Amino acid sequence: MLREEEQLAKAVVRLNAKLLGVVLGTLLGIGLFLVTNFLILKGGPDVGRHLSLLSQFFFGYRVTFVGSLVGFLYAFVVGFLIGWVLGAVYNKVARV
Amino acid sequence: MELLPKTRVELRVRLKVGRTALDEFMAEDEPKEQLPSPLLLAFAPLHRTAMGVACGVVLGGLLFLMTLFLVAKGGYPVGPTLALLGQFFFGYTVTFPGAFVGLLWGFMTGFLLGWGFAVVRNLVVWSWLLLIRSRAEMEQYGDFLDHM
Repeated sequence: MLREEEQLAKAVVRLNAKLLGVVLGTLLGIGLFLVTNFLILKGGPDVGRHLSLLSQFFFGYRVTFVGSLVGFLYAFVVGFLIGWVLGAVYNKVARV
Repeated sequence: MELLPKTRVELRVRLKVGRTALDEFMAEDEPKEQLPSPLLLAFAPLHRTAMGVACGVVLGGLLFLMTLFLVAKGGYPVGPTLALLGQFFFGYTVTFPGAFVGLLWGFMTGFLLGWGFAVVRNLVVWSWLLLIRSRAEMEQYGDFLDHM
């Protein structure tokens, strides 16, 4: 049996794709939720002019409180997919 | 039982619970082969190329899909904000051929980011490991001269 140090030199981290998806989805969702509500609280004449461009991809998303909830859902789904693909591709390539 | 002062009492509780549906979902793609020791799981390095390829696929794919989505949606002008990426990604436009250019640029950028992340993460872990080892050695041999 190889020594621990030799094993360590040969080992690589494996990722849990679904877990990574949930983590990235949660981070992205909460991030968009917080950023949207921050802009709402800040106020101003044209609230979130640039952030509202996300509605080009996220239908129904607006820089309002209800919009931030819609944005949370969209961002969670997108984050989950990104994390899942990232983990799956990583594990596939690392296994070769 | 009489406890002397300064006596350490260690209490270990092993709790065994059944796997929930969430555990089953999360564990579905766990490797089936025998798991390495906890030390290996904690300190094993990230595969640099794999991380680069994974990030490249995600970033390239994302840019490709976003461009195609805007092209399919139409309107005038098509994706004026996304087209600003052309300032950094030479040749990128929000058009059908531009989506493939974006795929290449996105893959290259993602690869560099992922590869760099893995290199830095591995460096930090190895430095940490060296620190732990040198501290352990110091503790082990620190009083060496006292025993002479």
